[in-house]
Amino acid sequence: MTASAHGSAVEGQATGGRGLRADQVRVTYGGHVAVDDVSLAAPLGQVTGLIGPNGAGKTTLFNACSGLLQPASGSVNLFGVDVTSKSTAVRARMGLGRTFQRVEVCNAMSLRTNVALGIEAREVGGKPWRQVFGNRELRRRVDEATQTALEACGITDLAERSTATLSTGQRRLLELARVLAGGFQLLLLDEPSSGLDEEETDSFGAVIQGAVDELGIGVLLVEHDMPLVMQLCRYLYVLDFGRLIFAGTPTEVQASQTVRDAYLGCGSDKGQP
Amino acid sequence: MSELLPFLITGLVTGSLYGLAGIGIVLTYRTSGVFNFGHGAIAAAAAFVFYTLHDTHHVPWPLAALITLGLFSTVVGFLLERLTRSLADAPEAVVVVATTGLLLGIEGLLYLIYGDLIRNFPAFLPSSGFTVDNVNVSWAEVISVALASTGTAVLFVFLRVTNLGVAMRAVVDNPTLTSLSGARPFRIRAAAWSIGSGFAALSGILLAPTLGLDPNLLTLLVVQAFGACAIGLFTSLPMTYAGGLLVGVVASVATKYLTTPPFSGIPPTVPYLFLIVILLVVPASRLPQRRASIRSLIPEVPPMRKARAWTLGGASAVILLFIPVLVGPRLPVWTSGLTYSVILGSLALLVWVSGQISLCHMAFAAVGATTMAHLDHHLPWGLALLLAGVVAAPVGVLVAIPSARMSGIYLALLTLGFGILMQNVIFPTFLMFGTTLQVKATRPRFWFIDGSDRWFYYVTLLVAALTYWVLAALYRGQLGRLLRAMSETPTMLTTHGLSVSTTRLLVFSISAFLAGIGGALLVTQSGVVAGEAFGPIQSLILLAVLAICGTRLLRSPILAAILLAVAPAYVTRFGVDQQTFGFGLFAVVAALVIAKRSQVQEWLAMAATSSASRQGRGPVINNVRARPSVPPTGANPAVSQ
Repeated sequence: MTASAHGSAVEGQATGGRGLRADQVRVTYGGHVAVDDVSLAAPLGQVTGLIGPNGAGKTTLFNACSGLLQPASGSVNLFGVDVTSKSTAVRARMGLGRTFQRVEVCNAMSLRTNVALGIEAREVGGKPWRQVFGNRELRRRVDEATQTALEACGITDLAERSTATLSTGQRRLLELARVLAGGFQLLLLDEPSSGLDEEETDSFGAVIQGAVDELGIGVLLVEHDMPLVMQLCRYLYVLDFGRLIFAGTPTEVQASQTVRDAYLGCGSDKGQP
Repeated sequence: MSELLPFLITGLVTGSLYGLAGIGIVLTYRTSGVFNFGHGAIAAAAAFVFYTLHDTHHVPWPLAALITLGLFSTVVGFLLERLTRSLADAPEAVVVVATTGLLLGIEGLLYLIYGDLIRNFPAFLPSSGFTVDNVNVSWAEVISVALASTGTAVLFVFLRVTNLGVAMRAVVDNPTLTSLSGARPFRIRAAAWSIGSGFAALSGILLAPTLGLDPNLLTLLVVQAFGACAIGLFTSLPMTYAGGLLVGVVASVATKYLTTPPFSGIPPTVPYLFLIVILLVVPASRLPQRRASIRSLIPEVPPMRKARAWTLGGASAVILLFIPVLVGPRLPVWTSGLTYSVILGSLALLVWVSGQISLCHMAFAAVGATTMAHLDHHLPWGLALLLAGVVAAPVGVLVAIPSARMSGIYLALLTLGFGILMQNVIFPTFLMFGTTLQVKATRPRFWFIDGSDRWFYYVTLLVAALTYWVLAALYRGQLGRLLRAMSETPTMLTTHGLSVSTTRLLVFSISAFLAGIGGALLVTQSGVVAGEAFGPIQSLILLAVLAICGTRLLRSPILAAILLAVAPAYVTRFGVDQQTFGFGLFAVVAALVIAKRSQVQEWLAMAATSSASRQGRGPVINNVRARPSVPPTGANPAVSQ
């Protein structure tokens, strides 16, 4: 794993066809290049971090991976299949789940119904007739997955609460439970701990770690909370101004002068786990 | 070439006026976020005001034109700004209800005042002219084009040179940023509505001599104009004007070649064809998307308690079963009420639950009605009824496909255009009503059911009950949950695997299916039905009446059916035009109430508390007595907060 100051020359880890890989992805908004030929990989069975200052292009890259944005060039590969031209919904049904920087929840429903939507959308998303004619077997699977996800995230006691009354931290947990209920093999988590207090952050980290260890899923994590990042991630990519400036293990990242200059700050001990 | 020239000239003249109207629409849409379906109605109103001044009161035409333009760009512009201010961030469906309500209201009012006699508009501009290549060109035509293009040019310069103009362009480009940088949105919007109404008035006055003083024709001018808007991608003003010219010329040249029915119906639908092609070809990101507030239109109400639900259901069932005994000779009215409740229920599912808009629901009903008529005597009645729905469903999907990727306003435009296309082109063909423009079907006769009014009432009641059972089951089931979530967070559902466009199309097809069944009931009830009953204006009335009765899935369409089909038989004082006017007016009010529902509720709650606290005034001794010094045990903490 070499580290270089030149974006496209940064090499990342390998997925061996079992995970998410972005190759030379370039996204432009009009004339502005938001993501500039970035390649990264998020294999299964571990948490991979994507860090960088605000406006570095992290969410844009996420949107390109999940298909909400079409890259100007480059390709996205999911579990060994080129999905660049596939729609967001198809990628999701293949097993790519995500959460949002600004929490996307349905306020008109209870927390449990919201969580259930995660698996419902995935199960019936491509089968219009199932949306009209559900069956008992499907209902049972939905209820089971929902209950398991609620328990994993420790929010069973909030299940019947109206979502409109939940705090930001509880909404973040809802999003995590929803994406876990969906049974996705690869999760893109966009700043999941922002708005959470220290205690909530700790339990959040434990849930993610637990899911990775027990279910063998892969996680690509965008996060500003450096202690959490250093604790969870086995490998890190650092973005700045849309370019990949460094890739390596947490220790290597903390030692890198390039990363300190661009993001962590000179002499800052913010990055210490 | 010389044989095409007259068509080209006519096309350029009408086209420049379509362009003028289109510019008014785009300018107001982009500055206020409200796409005004009533733009043509405003043009029509201006034409009538001008007519009254010039023809009835003999005011010289330049003065009459100035007065009309002044009136519309000040008073009407101001009123429209006030009206649309509260709609800026309302859901798409509410905006459509408000502006189509405006359309109906103005049209109804014009018919009320002027009657439905189509008047000849005085040719106020000089009809003398000159000859080009053996083709006569009148000064009237030259002046029309000159006025329209001058108006466009002046607006273009105004937007580039003046401060207000630059601010307006900035709003069009990025409204949030503009208001952050200190521009006054009110002034900008007011200016836009003033210019928009002025342009509408000018196009109305200039078009009336060609089209005749027909409120309906002028009102649907908006459809011609939205072809122009589509060519300008709902953004560019010069391109909109150019688009108007293109639409005008193509439509005019088409009249030369397409002379036999049903093809002769195509020229007026040319703008709609442009719209479809553009929506299919242009990527969604190139078209402006509104920043509508994201929320479900169905109010959150706790489910009714079981005992109450059963009592209510049982009571309604008993009343409905005894209606034939209770209402006497008015029974057919109640049967048609049930029929309309099926069509309105299908519309409520579409509009209130899935947030999609259909301005051609009567066209789906027409597909059902004609299918029923074609299958009459060939298949058992029940099977024919089912097939009527089955045929209507794919038609619905076909209409919705071009806009599946985009926000609701384009669907509204497409469906309005489709309704007009159907009426002009498809209705007269053998596929639907044929050249007689009417179809026949017989009532079901089997077992002891003898086709009498009474038995047909019970058959219709059964179909309606099944429809409402389906609606309730859909809403409570998987699809209902997905749709409610979709109205709030479509992106979330997409990223969890739901193909949102497919689900939207699915709902559209279910809705069209039910509407088709409603249409089939309509034709069997009366035995014979004319194509006119399924026109675009009828579809608009359907939406207006539904909105007046609220945004509930089951209750609103039932009330709407009573208001639309049953009430007029009892309250006979109001004629068709009064109903159109009233429905339009109340739809506007309803849209405002829905848009500001939370504020209205707060206001009501405040009014209630202030009247309650007033009781606590008066001598202080009374107040002391009323307020216990020690809070009673077990007091509800929610109340004490």
